[in-house]
Amino acid sequence: MEKKFWVALFIVWPIVAVVLCAIAPSMGWWFPPNPAEPGSTGSASELGHRIDDLFYMILVITTVTFILTHIAIALVMWRGANAKEGQKAWFTHGSHSLEVIWTIVPAVILLFIAFVQLDVWAEFRVISTFPEDAKKAPVAEVTARQFEWRIRYPAPGKVLQDTPQPDDIYMVNELHVPSGKPVMIYLQTQDVQHAFFMPELRVKQDAVPGLRIPVWFEAEKSAKYTLVCAELCGWGHYKMGANVIAESDESFDAYIRKLQEEQNYDGVVADSDSEDDDEV
Amino acid sequence: MRRRVLSFAILAASVAGCGVPDASFVYNERTESLPKEAQVGAKGADGQELKGIKTVIDENFGTPTKLVAWLKLPINYGGTEEQLSEAAGQDPAGFSLAEVAEADLETASTQPGYHLAAGRLLYMEHCMHCHGTSGDGAGPTAEYLEPRPRDYRKGLFKFTSTNEGKHVTPGDLTRVIKMGIPGTYMPSFMLLEDKEVDQIVEYVRWLSMRGEVEYALGAQLMADYSNNAIEDRIAGGEKRREIITELKETLAELDTMLDEAATEIGDAWTESNEPEAQVQPSIGRIPDSEESRRKGRAVFISAAAKCTNCHGPLGMGDGKQTEEYENNDETGSKWDEPGLHDKWGNIVKPRNLTTGIYRGGRRPIDIFRRVRAGVKGSGMPAFGTSVIPDEDLWHLVNYVKSIPFGPTAPAPAKAAEEAVSEPAG
Repeated sequence: MEKKFWVALFIVWPIVAVVLCAIAPSMGWWFPPNPAEPGSTGSASELGHRIDDLFYMILVITTVTFILTHIAIALVMWRGANAKEGQKAWFTHGSHSLEVIWTIVPAVILLFIAFVQLDVWAEFRVISTFPEDAKKAPVAEVTARQFEWRIRYPAPGKVLQDTPQPDDIYMVNELHVPSGKPVMIYLQTQDVQHAFFMPELRVKQDAVPGLRIPVWFEAEKSAKYTLVCAELCGWGHYKMGANVIAESDESFDAYIRKLQEEQNYDGVVADSDSEDDDEV
Repeated sequence: MRRRVLSFAILAASVAGCGVPDASFVYNERTESLPKEAQVGAKGADGQELKGIKTVIDENFGTPTKLVAWLKLPINYGGTEEQLSEAAGQDPAGFSLAEVAEADLETASTQPGYHLAAGRLLYMEHCMHCHGTSGDGAGPTAEYLEPRPRDYRKGLFKFTSTNEGKHVTPGDLTRVIKMGIPGTYMPSFMLLEDKEVDQIVEYVRWLSMRGEVEYALGAQLMADYSNNAIEDRIAGGEKRREIITELKETLAELDTMLDEAATEIGDAWTESNEPEAQVQPSIGRIPDSEESRRKGRAVFISAAAKCTNCHGPLGMGDGKQTEEYENNDETGSKWDEPGLHDKWGNIVKPRNLTTGIYRGGRRPIDIFRRVRAGVKGSGMPAFGTSVIPDEDLWHLVNYVKSIPFGPTAPAPAKAAEEAVSEPAG
C-alpha cells in the first residue's frame, strides 16, 4: 500500500504541471502586465513578442519532457510496487543504446533551440542588425550608478556625442523615448555591474564597467514602462528603479525642450514660472 | 555534544541576526557631556522635580514609535488647526501620535498628525539606512560612505536656495530627494509620489528642529556644567556640591529656555520660507560668450574672491588651502590633519570643477546660489554682493560651467536664450 502511495505521488506532479502550464498564460503568471494594453501581459515591443514565442516554445518542450520522465518513473515504480514477495531485485550494468538515446535526443533539442533563437538574438544584440534610424540618432546615454539611473540627452536638433557636451540635457530616473519606432540608448555604469531591465519591453542588458553598450528597443504604444536593475549591485539594488515614458514624437520634443528650459533657469524669468522652480 | 553546541550557536546567531533593531532617538554629544542631573533631571532644593534636557526633549518630541506633535514648531503635522489644538488640549507639549501602520495610512489620513506619522514611516523605509533614526547621519550604512550622509541636527543643509544664515526650504529638500545628489551616495527618489516626498520633507525638518533645540539647550549649560567644565571648576577650588546646586537652579529655568529656543528656531525656519530669504539675482544670466568667460576667469583668480585658494588655479579642487591646518571652531585648537573641515568635523574636498558633476544642481541659478550663499556648513563661504556683484557672478557662472570642457571649448555663437527657441533639426 505504501509503495503505491509513492507511485501516486509521482504521477500527481505531471498532472499538476500540465494544468499549471495550460492555465498560466491566461492567468498572466509568466509576464508583467502590459501598461499599454490593460488586462494583457503580452510584450509591449515587437521583438518581445518573438522572445515570448521562444519562451513558450521552450516551456512546451520542458513540460513535455517533465511529463514523459515522470510517467516513466511512475511506470517503473508501479512495476516495483506490484512485485511479488520474495522476488529478488534485478541488477543491470547500464545499457549502451539507452545512453546513446538520452544523449542524442537532448542534444538535438538543444541544437534546435540554439538555431531557432539565432535571429532574435542577433536582432537584439548584434549592432549590425540594429534598425538604421535608431543607430543614427541615439536618444540618450543612460548611466547606471548605485542606486539610480542618470540620463543624458543631446540638445534638441543635436546628435548625442560620446562625451558630455555643454548643451546636453540631464535627468535622473525618468527616461523619455518616442514610441512607435525603434530607439537606441547607450548604456554604461559609473561603479559596479548593473542591468538595464525593462520587463514589459522584454529588454535586459548588463551594464559592465568600462563598456559603453548600445541597446535598442521599440515601445509600440505610448505608455509608462518600468525600468529596474536586474543585477544585484549593492544594498540599495531593490530601490534602483525608474520610469520609461514612451510618447509621441511631439510630446517627446516638447519634454526635451521643457527640460532644456528648466536646466537653463537663471532665477529671473516670468513671474508665473518662478513657483515651478523647485517642482522639478 | 559538540554538534548540539554548534547548532545552538547557529540558532542563536540567526535569531539575533533577524531581530528588528530597536528604534530610539539618540542625544547629541553636548547633552551627553553634561552630568546626570542636567540630562535626566533631579530633585530640586525645595523638593520640586527638575527636568533634564533628555526629559524635555522626550516630552516634546517623543520617541520614533510615539512621536509628539509639538504645536509650537512650524511643522505641518497634518490635520486642521482645530483638530490639532483639540488633540493637544491644554498640554503645551502637544499630543502623542499613535503609531500608524503602513496599511492604515489611507484611513489615518483624517487623524491629526498623520502627515508626520506617515513621514516617519517613509523615512524609516527610505532614509534611515544612511541618515539614521535620529537624523544624525549615522545609519547602519553610513560608515561605508564617503562623503558622509547629512547629519540634520545642526539645522544645516548644504544646497539651499536661501541666503546666507537662512535655513533650507521644503522646496530645496524636495528637489534633493527627487533629483538625488550626483557625486555622493544620495540617490534620486523620483518614483515616490509627491505626497510621500512632502511627508518625508516634513519629517526631516522636524528631526532637524529636534536636533537644533537639543543643541541650543546644551549650549546654554555646557560652558559651565559639562563634566569637563565641572572638573576644571573643582580644580579651581569650587566644591562639586555647590556647582550642582547652581546647576539645579539653572535647571529650574529649563522650561523657559526650551520655550525660547523653540520660538527662536521655529521663527528662523519660518523666515527662511519667505521670498526675501531666497537668493534672487537682480539680473538674468549674462549670455555665455568667450568674453564673459574671460571676465569670469578674472573673478575666479582675483584676490577678492580667492576661488583658487581652494579650487586651485585650474579648478581641480587642489588649492593650497587643502594643505593647511585649519582651526577647529568647536575646540579652538587646530585640527590634527591638514585640509578643509566642514561643520560636522569631516574633511571636505573643494569641488573639482573639471568633472562636470554639480552636487547642488547644474542650472545657472544653482551655481549662482552656491557662490552667493555658500555651501552651508562646508568651507565654501557665502560671497556677498559686495565681493562679487550679480554681473560678475554671472560671468563666473559662465566660466565655471565652461571648465569641464577645457580652455579651448568654443563658446556658443548665439545667446543661450536663442538656443532654447532653436527649432529641432
